[in-house]
Order: sequence, then C-alpha cells, then structure tokens
Amino acid sequence: MTLAVFFPFLIAALAAWLGPRLGRRTGYVAAAAFLPALLLIPELLRMPGAVPALEVTRWVPTLDLNLAFRGDGFSLLFAALIGVIGTLASLYSVAYLSERERFGRFYSYLLCFGGSMLGLVLTDNLVALFGFWEMTSVTSFLLIGLWHTRSAARDGAVKAFLVSALGGLALLAAVALIALGGGSTSLSGLDVGALRESAYFTPALLLTLLAAFTKSAQLPFHLWLPTAMEAPTPVSAFLHSATMVKAGVVLVAKFGLIFGGAALWSGIIVPVGLATLVWGAWLALRQTDLKALLAYSTVSQLGLLMSLYGLADAEGRFAATAHLLNHAAFKAALFFVVGIIDHETGTREIPLLGGLRRALPVTFAAALLAAMSMAGLPPLGGFISKELFYEAMLHQGPLFLAVAVAGSALTFAYSFRLLRVFLGTPRAPAGAEPHEAPPGLTLPAAGLALTALVFGVLPGTAEALTRTAQSALNFGDYDGYLSLWHGVTPALLATLLTWALGAVLVWQARGMRALGRRLTPRVNANTVYYGLTQTVNVFSSWLIARTQGLPLPDQLRIMLAAAALMAGYAVWRAPQVFYPIGTLPLGVLPVAALLIAGAVGVLLSRGRLTAVIVTGLTGFGSAAAFLAFRAPDLALTQLLVEAVTVILFLLAFRYLPGVRDLPRTRGRYVFDVAIAGLAGVGITLLVLSSVRFLAPPISPYYLEYSYKGGGGKNVVNVLLVDFRGFDTLGEITVVGMVALAVLSLVRLGKPGRPRRTPDDTADLPARRRP
Amino acid sequence: MTRPPAPSSSGHEAPAPAPLTNDPILRSTSRAVFALVLLFAFLLLWRGHNAPGGGFIAGLMTTCALVLHRIAYGFSALRLDPARLIPWGLALAFGTGLVPYLLGKPFLKSDYGYITTAVTGEFEWATALLFDLGVFLAVVGASLTIAYALTEVAPQETVEGDE
Repeated sequence: MTLAVFFPFLIAALAAWLGPRLGRRTGYVAAAAFLPALLLIPELLRMPGAVPALEVTRWVPTLDLNLAFRGDGFSLLFAALIGVIGTLASLYSVAYLSERERFGRFYSYLLCFGGSMLGLVLTDNLVALFGFWEMTSVTSFLLIGLWHTRSAARDGAVKAFLVSALGGLALLAAVALIALGGGSTSLSGLDVGALRESAYFTPALLLTLLAAFTKSAQLPFHLWLPTAMEAPTPVSAFLHSATMVKAGVVLVAKFGLIFGGAALWSGIIVPVGLATLVWGAWLALRQTDLKALLAYSTVSQLGLLMSLYGLADAEGRFAATAHLLNHAAFKAALFFVVGIIDHETGTREIPLLGGLRRALPVTFAAALLAAMSMAGLPPLGGFISKELFYEAMLHQGPLFLAVAVAGSALTFAYSFRLLRVFLGTPRAPAGAEPHEAPPGLTLPAAGLALTALVFGVLPGTAEALTRTAQSALNFGDYDGYLSLWHGVTPALLATLLTWALGAVLVWQARGMRALGRRLTPRVNANTVYYGLTQTVNVFSSWLIARTQGLPLPDQLRIMLAAAALMAGYAVWRAPQVFYPIGTLPLGVLPVAALLIAGAVGVLLSRGRLTAVIVTGLTGFGSAAAFLAFRAPDLALTQLLVEAVTVILFLLAFRYLPGVRDLPRTRGRYVFDVAIAGLAGVGITLLVLSSVRFLAPPISPYYLEYSYKGGGGKNVVNVLLVDFRGFDTLGEITVVGMVALAVLSLVRLGKPGRPRRTPDDTADLPARRRP
Repeated sequence: MTRPPAPSSSGHEAPAPAPLTNDPILRSTSRAVFALVLLFAFLLLWRGHNAPGGGFIAGLMTTCALVLHRIAYGFSALRLDPARLIPWGLALAFGTGLVPYLLGKPFLKSDYGYITTAVTGEFEWATALLFDLGVFLAVVGASLTIAYALTEVAPQETVEGDE
C-alpha cells in the first residue's frame, strides 16, 4: 500500500522528464504508475473476511506522526477504483491530447494527484489524511489551471483552490480536535467513546462537515466544480468519477463511524445532500454545454451519495457504496464520451449537435448505457442503486422521498438531454466530419459502460464489490441485497412516478427552459464568491496603498516604533533579571568604539557613498568582535556577507537618487531621535535580559558530540549540517525564494522570454481530422 | 578579449550587456584573482567540517569571484542561469537528508568515516560534505541571481517622490 501511494509520485518525476521526450506516449508510462494500486485488487477480493493490513512507516514518532496505511475493505475498494479510472484516464489522454500539449507537466500533475488521492483513502493517520487532502487541493489546482493562458482556466483553478483550501483548514482543525479528544492520531486507534464525551466533539463534527462539503461541492460550495471542467477532459473524468470530489464522500463515510451517533451529523448532511441533489440536477438540466451538464450532474450525484452516507446506518452505507461504484462507472464513461464528441466535432454545445449515432455508433452505445445507468433505468446498475436510495429515504419519511423523487426525475431528464446529441437529424458544426474515434478513445468509454451494464445484469458482481467494504463501514449485518426485481415495493412505485415525471420534463423541455430562465436567482454562490474576492482585492489594494506606498523614512519610523514596543513589552513581561556581565575583556573596547563610530558616522554623513563606507565599518567591526570572542567561523561569514552586501549595494547604487536633506522640522527631529533611542534601548534591554551569563553553558555538549556524533572538529559547521540540518535546509530554501522574489521584482513589467505559445484553443485538443 | 558574450544571466536573449567597466588593469588582475578566490572558496568548502569554513561561506566567496568576473568582462563565467542552481542545491541537500531516513535513521543524520590512500594519507569523509555542497549551490545560485538581476535594472527607473 505504501508503494501504491508513493509509486505515482515516483513516476510523476519520471514523467516530467520523459514528457518532452516521449510526447503523448508518456501516457503509457503514466498508466503504469497505477499498477501497484491495481495490485491491491486481489487483496480487496479477499476482503470481507480478511483482516485489514496495516503498514506503518515512522515519520516523527514523537509527534505520533506516522505514514500509516490501512487496507480495510472500503479503502481498498476506493484505491482500486482510483487505480482503474486513473489507468483509463492516462491511456485515454494518449489519444486525446494534442501534440502541442506540455506532456511532462500534464502527466506529472495527474500522477501526483492520483498519488495524493490514493494516500487520502488509504491512510490511517489523521495528520497524514490532512496532508493528502491538501495535496489533492494543490494538484487539482494545477490540473484545472493546466491551460493557464486562458482566463477561465485560471479562474476555475483559483476558485477550486480557495474553496477546497477553506475546507482544508477546517479539516486541520477538526483533525486536531479529534486527535485531542480521541487520544490518538490513528484513525483505527481512536477512542471514540472518549471523543464523544469530550467538549471537542461538536466543533470537530461541524468542521469535518465543512471540509467534506467544500471538497464534495455540496450546496453552497458547489460553485467550484462546474468551473473545474476547464481541466482537460481526461482529468475531468478522473476528478469527477473517482477522486477529488469523492474525497468529501470518503471523509463522511469514514468519519460517519465516529460522528454517526450524533443527531447533528445526519441532521445536517441529509438535508444538504438532498438539496444538492435537486439543485444540481436542476442546474444540469439548464446547461447547453455537455461537459457543464456532466459537471452539475456530478454535483447532484454527490448530494445523493452524501445524503446516503450521512444517514450513518447500515442501509445508507450499503446503498451509498453500491451507488459509488455505479457512479464511478457511468460518470467516467460519460466524460470519456463527451471527450470523444468534442474531439470529433470540435464542439460540446448541445444545440449545435444532433444525430451523431450514425457517425459514432460505438460511442453512442457506450453513451446510451452510461446515460441509462445515470437516469436509473433497468437493467443497469444505476437502477438498482436508485432503488436502494428510495428504500433508504422511504424509511426517513415521505418528505425525504418526495425530494429524492424530484431529484431523480430531473436526473432522468438531463440524462435524456445528454443523449439528444445522438438522436434526430445529423447536425454538426461546419467543417466537422464526425466519424468513429480511434480505439484509444472509445475503448475506455465502452469498457466502463459495459461495467455499468454488468453491475445491472449481474447484480452479484456489484454486490460482491459492495460487500468488501462491509466490515470497514459496519454494514455487515444489513440483509439487503442487490437485485433488479425486488417485487412491487414502494420504491418501485416511486421509480415509476420518477419516470412519469421525467418523461413530462423531457416532453415539456421547452417550457422548462423558459421556466429556468425566469427562475434564475439574482444572488447565487458565484455572485457571492466574486463579491467576496472583489472585496478582498479592494481592501488589500487599499491597505497596500496606505502602508507600502509611504516614503522610506516613514516606513522606518513604523518599523522602529514596532521594534521598541515589542522589545519593551517582552522585557516588561519577562522576569527582569539582568545578570552581571562580569569583567569586560579590554580587547573588545576598541572594537566597540569602532562599531559606535560607524553607527554615528552614518548619521552624520551627507553623501550616500560615505554612508555606505561608514556602514561597512559596523559590519567589519562586528567581524572583529567575533574574532575577539574567538569565533573565526562567524567572523569569516560576517566578512563575506559584508563583501557581498557591498557588491550588491554598488550594483543598486548606480540607480539610487542622491541623499538629499530631508525637510525636517525641529519637532520631527526630536521625534525621530526619540524613536531611534527607544528602539535601541529596547533591543539592548531585550538582549541583556535574555543572556544568561551564569546558566550552565550548552557548548560542552556540542563540543563533545560534534566529533563523536557528526565526525567534525568544527562545531559550528557540524551544528549547521547535522544537529540543526533541518534548520539549514529551511534557510537555504528561504534564501532561494528571496532570490526568486528579487528576480521577479526586477523583471516586473519587462517582456518575458519568448516561448512556445501553448495551445490556446479551448478544450479542443488535437482536431485531427483526416 | 574576443570571447563571445554568453547569454545573459537571466536567460532571455537580450543583447549582451555592456561591460560595467572596460578597465584593462581590472581585466588582467581579475583573471588571476578569480582563479585564486575560487580555489580558496573550494578549500573553504572542503575543510568546513573540521576548520572554519563551510558551504555558506564558500558560496558567498564564489559569488564574489563570479561577480568580479562579470564586472571585469561583462559576461558571466557561469554558462547557465544561476537561478537553476537553487533547485539543484535544495535537491542535493534534501536528498542527503533523505538517504539516512530511508535507511531507518533520523532525517539528515550524517555519517562519516576514514579512508587511507597512498597519496593523501588518512583523510576523513563525511556525508555532511554533500549537504554542504547543496548549501553551497543554493547560496551561489541565490546570491548570483540577485546580483545579476540588479545589474539589469534599467537606470531610468526611479523611486517615486525622490529626485
């Protein structure tokens, strides 16, 4: 399992290197990255009986932070799902992407994303769970924004990232509270009883819900998912069917075992999920873009899954897991189908398309099966899981069932709307001559559509897969089973009603569109989002203009005053013990005089060059002081830093204006002297109060162990590279970042280096028409 | 000096910047000084483990040498964008830390030992040197990036409010 999680990352590095060399064929290598995940399938098939394997790699044991991966039925099921869809998406991309794509970038993002998702579902450590959660946010940001020259892609990426990062922060807090309350960071080792008793329970529950809702695009956080379709279609298929958006579902499913007992849990999730189901389906029905339709359909289906897992009983979990499988199969298949249509006709607009069944028979068959499964028609998997859904909602009450029926009727209607591009008279944009796509595109779609059919015709297969998760999700004692015919049940009657309603919706499509136009709310999630970001932008511009635009003397005044305040506060609060300094070595006195002379000299100098030279006096003076205190290493460093500073200053010096006499009034002058004096006194007191001349020094420890442990006689260096190597690593990272920041500041506004213009046509890669 | 001007530090194909100074004396001395300073910088890097020195100082010194060269000749002695050194340095430092971790020891635990050869006699090797090399590369990359970027600032840019 550890391998399954980290192998994609490894291959991602390889793919980044191979990308420019192998071109689109990198996809084959990328597909291989999911091999370890696929190898978990035999383990999965043994599952309901077998004991979950636990693989622990210790990371920071003192913080209870381990890379623990636990292969229970549900995690393995999900990992296998990610593996299968990931492989298919990689293979599909080979045929789908255009020659000009940046393959190295695309495949390494895709694999990093797949790896983080695998880590997310398999991990048993709460902190690692959060880490992988955030990694999926970051990698999906990169994937959605892959075509970053398009503003829509940038907007979609930023939106997705902001929303899911908000949820990520909530998850971090929730994880911390759960770990505190449950006494462990291990998901399987939590003391759930103690957590329920603790005061952390309710806040942790609410925060978890916030995280799950943002990630899984529940109302009102659904705004990011439709814009996320700016990603290339194979990515969308991966994102929408098996991964990213399901992360919230995974969270609700897994944490439902912890929080499920609370009334608040299902009290929030089920209504939100159902509302999302209906609203998402309603929005999906209104779309004219095929991919947008599918995106809203995902929102709606996620609402369904959420509401089922949110019930936190055996029935709901069973139904949800069954629908999870069905949804993954038909949604990925439909995305692949839309990719094919886009690829062959150059458009995804429903009104522009029609009668494609003649030109694309195989695609049509796949689309028909998948859409029927989505609509919940027999004999497909979607029908069975929808029956279970009705069954579960029936037990909640008639109102729940009514909402469920309404949502499903809308689902029925938009599924049909999707199929309309295949029906009627052939119609395609001018110039497009649609014909069957290469097997690289049709096979993944057809395979998944057949899976959806198999899940329906042979319910035993889906049942067996669903049952693998039973011990992990605690629905082993549920006696329901998957079957096409349960007899005439209330659920079946509800289904018939759904079809009737759906048929009416299809029949009255024109009227519905008119209604939809009139019902468009003025304030929706998107307007709120843009309003918020706009406000933040305006506020930050205002703040920057008010603080950063000040002349340098004013900024210095603020900084010095802050230093004086903080140092003074620290001295005031800290135990004010000033130890006697002891005898002052006389040799240091001349150096001190030099330092002070330098400082005073800067104040008195009238030219910039003089000021620089006199500043150098303080620098070299410090070096001398280090030498006097027998610290040659520090002295050497100080000298070299001084030298480099001088060089850098001289480089900037050419462009600096001359020092002019500042128009200072007498009052200003006194004020400045006071600020400077206070800052100086404050810092000096701070240093003096923190120096403990009488405390036992720590240097003997280092002197002894630097040679014993690090094998070096230069304690300072051993300290830097071994004892505190991690600090050094952080510091050089900072140094590098500073350099890049300076570089970008200096380059600001200059024309960049000419580069290959990336593919700027919308999501229309490789219009390879013969 | 008929050497072709190298592509400018920051990689974009701007016309080669004019030498900052055309002083022949500076040119001929800098040639010797450049080599000497570099040599000393490598010495500092090498002996850093047991005597004053180390990657940071060596990096700064190398930067000084390279900037001197740039000032004297007008082109960089380094035939690549110095910003590229930063990730390599970071990767090297991180990688040296990762190896002991993968072997089951704490992250960044260094190892050392002694080798005796006929030429050098007994001398010590330490993995810390590799880490130091990473620091060295990152520091050279970062400080050179800043220095070269500053040499390219257009003189007409002035600060608002100043004269």
